[in-house]
Amino acid sequence: MTTADVPLWAALPAALLLVCGGLLTLVGSLGLLRLDSFFARIHAPTMGGTLGAGCVLVASMLVSSALAQRLVIHELLITLFVLITAPVTTMMLMRAAIRRSRE
Amino acid sequence: MELALIIFLPFLGSLGAAFLPPNARNAEAWLAGAAALAATAITVSLYPQVAAEGVLRLNLPWAPALGLDISLRMDGFAWLFALLVTGMGTLVVIYARYYMSPADPVPRFFSFFLVFMGAMLGVVLSGHLIQMVMFWEMTSLSSFMLIAYWHHRGEARRGARMALTVTGAGGLALFGGVLLLGHIAGGYDLDTVLAAAPQVKAHPWYPAVLALIALGALTKSAQFPFHFWLPHAMSAPTPVSAYLHSATMVKAGVFLLARLWPVLAGTDAWFWIIGGAGLCSLVLAGYLAMFQQDMKGVLAYSTISHLGLITLLLGMNSELALVAAVFHIANHATFKASLFMAAGIVDHETGTRDLGRLSGLSRAMPLTAALAVVAAAAMAGVPLLNGFLSKEMFFAETVFLDRPDWQRFGLPLAATLAGVFSVAYSLRLIQRVFFGPPAQDLPHTPHEPTRWMLLPSALLVAACVLVGVVPELVIGPYLRTATGAILGADAPAYSLAVWHGFNTPLLMSFVALGGGALLHGALLARRGATTVPLLESIDGRHLFDVTLTALTTGAERALRRLSSPRLQMQMLLIFAVALGGALLLVKPFGIGWGANAPQPLDPAFALLWLVGGACALAVAWQAKYHRFAAVAFAGGAGLATSLTFVWFSAPDLALTQLTVEVVTTVLILLGLRWLPRRDERIAGPGGATPRLRRSRDILVAGGCGLGLAALAYAVLTRPAVDGIAPFFVQQALPQGGGLNVVNVILVDFRGFDTFGEITVLGIVALTVYALLRRFRPAPESMRLPDQQHEQDGDASPRDSQEAMLPAGAMMLPAVLVRLLLPLALLVSLFFLLRGHNAPGGGFVGGLILATAVILQYLVGGTHWVESRLRIHPLYWIAIGLLLAAAAGIGAAFAGAPFLTSQAWHGTLPVVGELHLSSVLLFDLGVYMLVVGATTLMLVAIAHQSLRSQHHRTATGDTR
Repeated sequence: MTTADVPLWAALPAALLLVCGGLLTLVGSLGLLRLDSFFARIHAPTMGGTLGAGCVLVASMLVSSALAQRLVIHELLITLFVLITAPVTTMMLMRAAIRRSRE
Repeated sequence: MELALIIFLPFLGSLGAAFLPPNARNAEAWLAGAAALAATAITVSLYPQVAAEGVLRLNLPWAPALGLDISLRMDGFAWLFALLVTGMGTLVVIYARYYMSPADPVPRFFSFFLVFMGAMLGVVLSGHLIQMVMFWEMTSLSSFMLIAYWHHRGEARRGARMALTVTGAGGLALFGGVLLLGHIAGGYDLDTVLAAAPQVKAHPWYPAVLALIALGALTKSAQFPFHFWLPHAMSAPTPVSAYLHSATMVKAGVFLLARLWPVLAGTDAWFWIIGGAGLCSLVLAGYLAMFQQDMKGVLAYSTISHLGLITLLLGMNSELALVAAVFHIANHATFKASLFMAAGIVDHETGTRDLGRLSGLSRAMPLTAALAVVAAAAMAGVPLLNGFLSKEMFFAETVFLDRPDWQRFGLPLAATLAGVFSVAYSLRLIQRVFFGPPAQDLPHTPHEPTRWMLLPSALLVAACVLVGVVPELVIGPYLRTATGAILGADAPAYSLAVWHGFNTPLLMSFVALGGGALLHGALLARRGATTVPLLESIDGRHLFDVTLTALTTGAERALRRLSSPRLQMQMLLIFAVALGGALLLVKPFGIGWGANAPQPLDPAFALLWLVGGACALAVAWQAKYHRFAAVAFAGGAGLATSLTFVWFSAPDLALTQLTVEVVTTVLILLGLRWLPRRDERIAGPGGATPRLRRSRDILVAGGCGLGLAALAYAVLTRPAVDGIAPFFVQQALPQGGGLNVVNVILVDFRGFDTFGEITVLGIVALTVYALLRRFRPAPESMRLPDQQHEQDGDASPRDSQEAMLPAGAMMLPAVLVRLLLPLALLVSLFFLLRGHNAPGGGFVGGLILATAVILQYLVGGTHWVESRLRIHPLYWIAIGLLLAAAAGIGAAFAGAPFLTSQAWHGTLPVVGELHLSSVLLFDLGVYMLVVGATTLMLVAIAHQSLRSQHHRTATGDTR
């Protein structure tokens, strides 16, 4: 399997989505690095975790479907898992931060 | 085949006896009696064969590839002993049925009793020396269990420990001696050893062999200077004393000496070691027996004395003395066992065995008294009883001893003196217990016991009389077969008549009888003191205790010097030794870099490793004060490793690494909770010492890490060895039926290894569980952390159990994590099922499910989770192991070896085409075991927080 096997109709949007996702994640990471307080910083990485990951997953669905000549949507499961698990950790972190800020 | 049955029956009976209910006295006695009686019957029925053929042999192949067989051998001597063991066993079982109180847990008694009988028969009938030593040790162990039968008594426990220590140490020496002996003789088979007698005696190792075997035999037969354990073993129930400690087990030592007599005897060393120990025991124990206050104490010392007589006879290097020894073994067993039974009856009916309190029992118990009087007379050597005959043979032997002058005079004198003692203590025992004015202050009113309890004793006394009156008829032929088996063709002629005319031995007998009566009448009868004159200060038990204490304190001191309880020091030593060992090997083997050129470095991969390495360094940096940060960094390093596996196309490894990483992190986090707090503000001792210590640690750590890296590099740059790997890759699909080579190796090619590994994993989990059950956290970490306290609010554990969801801030995460559980179960099953053909497998799947379960605990709290979801990790472990084993055993139905994979391919009506393989069952076993083991360990730690809550409630501390 090489890049040449992917038809153009799939490759173009997929590439676009990957770049978008990468940029979003990069911006999120920059925010994590640059912002001042914990409460501001907790928002930044969620860009990568939600929209960024979403872009990559959609791109993956496109490419896989194009290669397999049928609809491949396993990535929806990953989306589901990310959606369920990411808030748990974020909430825990925020609880801890609130506690610490009270001291 | 009958030979195997004789040994097998008692063991079988023991197994049956162990499973009967505690109060089944009659059933136990019937079972044990039947086993013993059957063994006796078989033994008796074998006599014509033994007499005709000389030696019966049976070889059961056991591990033929190693040349190990179970070898049984019965000749005349072994037959006599086997009859003694089985016949006496039957009688003692009958006696024990009435002796044991209904409150005693009889299954334990009869079970160990029969184990002993089987083991003793094993000693007697073994045709292979090492096999015999194994049975020998088994008799020591069962004797230990039987002496400590009433283990609530301190003296029983002490006596049992002493007996086991002494006989066990002797057994070890015996094992060494037997190994040497077999080495000299060129084989461990008894026949080979017996045939090699001249080589053994001429060999330079002969003194060592003799010393070691003598140690084994003398400790077992309680001979001087190891005699002290036997009197303390008298805290055993009386049937045990009668059977083990007078009739059979203590005879194992003299049995062995007689068995190896043709090989080892005939030298001066043998005469001095064996004869010397025998003579000392004979005289010394006879003297001590005269002053004992306990009935069983008298009998114990008299047993030592009589065993000393047998040992002395064996040590005399004369064939006739050997005949006398064998004769006396049988005689002593009959009269001493019946005396023990009488002592037990007296104890049972009056509640005491104290010679100072007992008196005049012949009025209340005339039958018991009559039996005891006859048995004691046999012990004293009164004519027309069996003791007289063998004792006279002994006297004759001492007179005709072929030794230099002073020994020729000294030995008969010593023998007569011992005879005097023997008569005196027998008289004293009988006179104190059964004659004189009736005792007034006994715990129970004495009366005659039930007839069945008297029967065994009566039979034995009858044997004493019969042998004493018509010896040639009753025991003559059997004795001749027995001695003939030991001596072969040079067995001497002797006569077993009662009357040999007036000669020196007869004179000695009468001197002993008269002197004993005089000694008793003049001194002992009037003596009220309870101490032993002259020898009071010589106490073997004291010596034994002092030695043991010295050993224990010495070991503790050595441990303090040589070892450290500090984990840091131990780790440092382990790593330093590993590093040093590896460095030592570098020089001679000249390990250099290989010839293969490394692959070009990918920048992305370099970055990954940079991050991973930084994380690893950060762990070390933060480990002291910020443990949590250190754990997070360790996770980063682990992630880098997992990604490396993915990078180099090892998805199975990557998956496993990832899941293991997660579980380990959770484990460490759970454990961190119980570590004492460490704070940067608390300064440790500053100055040069910590700096020096840290530099040393850095050096060792750096050396180990770099060394390992260099080693890995050196190996990886070498050309790949053409090992077994290509076979696995090629044969995975055709033979294993799977595309995933890793999984096929794990569950099929190397299934047996995996089976062993999961067994170990299960054991480890159980061990962790067992250790943590006793774990008590330090008081300072007992307090709930502020966070948890705040989060739970004032909710008690009960409230949180009943709520639909955990209260407070954890409510939302709990909803999400609950959603995750079924999904995680699905994913784990997916990994399990696809494992054979794609990355995954039972191990990974199991870890995923375990992680999901522990997540519920983390978010919901232990109370909340366990009120809803009851996981039984122990069942999971057990079922997992059973499934894996079933998958392995299933192969046997197809006639294939253990763990051969079986596959079935076909179509089912609704499901469609289906491929089922036994490896899936095996993998399911792995899966279940991993789930069980992981959750068991994690939950065991999680439960610690419950325990600290209990503690708080108990101490009334609400914080």
